[in-house]
This record gives sequence, structure tokens and C-alpha cells, in this order.
Amino acid sequence: MSRFYLHQQIANGVIEDPDGTEAVDLAAAKHEAILAARQLLANAILTGVAPLGTAFQITNEAGQMLLKVPFRDALPARFISTD
Amino acid sequence: MPHPTQSFVRNGLLSVIDAAAYAAIGPHLEPVDLPKGTVLIEAGEPFTHAHFFNSGIGSIVVSTADSRRVEAGIFGREGLSGFGCLLGVDQCPQTTMVQVEGEGYRVSIDGLRAACQEAASLRETLLRYVHVFISQTSYTSLSNVNQSVEGRLARWLLMCHDRVTGDDIALTHEFLSIMLAVQRPSVTTALHMIEGYGFIKARRGHITILDRDALIDFADGMYGTPEAEYRRLIGPFS
Repeated sequence: MSRFYLHQQIANGVIEDPDGTEAVDLAAAKHEAILAARQLLANAILTGVAPLGTAFQITNEAGQMLLKVPFRDALPARFISTD
Repeated sequence: MPHPTQSFVRNGLLSVIDAAAYAAIGPHLEPVDLPKGTVLIEAGEPFTHAHFFNSGIGSIVVSTADSRRVEAGIFGREGLSGFGCLLGVDQCPQTTMVQVEGEGYRVSIDGLRAACQEAASLRETLLRYVHVFISQTSYTSLSNVNQSVEGRLARWLLMCHDRVTGDDIALTHEFLSIMLAVQRPSVTTALHMIEGYGFIKARRGHITILDRDALIDFADGMYGTPEAEYRRLIGPFS
């Protein structure tokens, strides 16, 4: 298990993840980021308030950026088709 | 065995009951510390003791076999744990644990039942508390299906604020995520929003309430009714 941090990229900065989360590997951390993004988007849709965030920046304990997960990756493909 | 005099106890139920009720329950009270994380009632295990809190916060949590969980209700110095024994049952499917450390009194289930037999006014007050607790869980249910994460968080912070001394509440994002049954980033974002409105100050593992009235407005009618029921039926609340 390693500790991963899911920092949230917003328009004018970053909402820091203060505590981080334990996950077996980066793929598991990415899965968590996808689930979290879905919940944030669902809450934004329910309230009609645009979500603050646009992506998660996954870092390790040393603060190294490992992966960016755009919120759009959390949506079913049909939601973002243009027709 | 020496036991605390009624004027000394800070638990809301123990301090409002009449003299006959206190005479019945007083001899059964044993002072206890309530460290954070202590499990007071294990789901599916027989009740052994009820706990009257003087301080701290207890949390009643329901979970599935695969560890999905949500908090069903909270209580502090206004209430007690283990009230299922008053309803004639010996165990329950929820877990009760200490979420903010405190202290209080424990009483054996047999002692509590005997005291309730002896003093009808004690039983009546405690059953009114059960009613208030059911009101709280009803509003929690209403809030869970109708409110945004930030609205639910606001309500929940108010309920914690009622049960601590001062304006600081020691809680991690991880813990909040379990209590509200949302992912941690939802808690972080909701705290960020509420802090942005100036209602709270959030630091690591720590939340300070800055504008309680604004939080109540923000909770949009979901906070306040169970608390009013307590004041109407039992006595002073927080």
C-alpha cells in the first residue's frame, strides 16, 4: 500500500488533499479519483452549481505529480458526445 | 458506593429528571472516560451498559458486510447510548462509538432497567429522548436524499457544534467522509465551499465554527426541529 494525494485542480488554484489515501497502486488511486469525480459532478448537477474542480492531480507522499485525471474521464462517453 | 449528586452531573437527561428518578438511577452511575474510537455497542452483540455522556460525541453507524457505512445519528451530553434496552430488546444492528472524546457515566443494562421500574418519571423522560433521537434520524434521512453534500455537512457541523464546548471541532476529512457516506474529495470540496462563504475555518483535522446563524440558514430547514423537540419535551439543549 502507498499513500496517494488527490489534489483538485480548480480555476484559480488547487484544493489540497490534506490527508491522502492508502491505495495498492496508482491504478487503484486513479479508480478512486474517478469515483470521487463522479460524486462531485453528481453533486454539481443536483445543485445546479458548476463544479469547482476540473481534474485531480494525483501525487505521491513526496509531492511528485504522478497522474492527471480530468473530470471528463469520469463521465460516460455518451455524456460528452457532441451530437 | 458513592455516586455523583444531581447538581454535579452535566448530562442533559440526568440533570432534568425529578428527585425520585435521580434517586433510582444515581446509585447505578459509574464515572467513565470516553476515549475517541471506543466502541460502546457492537452491532449484534448483547447490550452490557448504557452511557450517559457529560461531554464528547457518540455516533451510531450502520454498515453492510462489505463495509459501506453511514452515520444514522449522533448524541452527546443531551443523551445516552444503549437506549434500545428501554424498548425491551437486548441487542441492535447498529454500532455505537465515541467520535469526539469525552466523559460520562455508565450504568449496567440491568441497573437501568431496574431504575426505570422503580421511577416511572425516569422511564418517561428517557423514552421522550428516544422520540427525539428518532426525529433526528428522520431529518438525517430527509437531508441525505434532499441536500447537497455541502448542505449535509453544514447540518452535521451544527449538530457537532451543539455538543462540544467552544467553537472548535476536531475531525479529519476521512472521518467526515465516513459520517456523511461520501468520498473524501467531496468533503474537502464542501469544506472549501463553506469556508469560502466565511461560515467556518478548516484546518487539518480541525474545524472552527465562525458564523453559526449563517450555517443554520445554509442548512435550509434541515437543522433545528429535533433540537426544538428536545427543548419542548425534555429541557435545555446545548
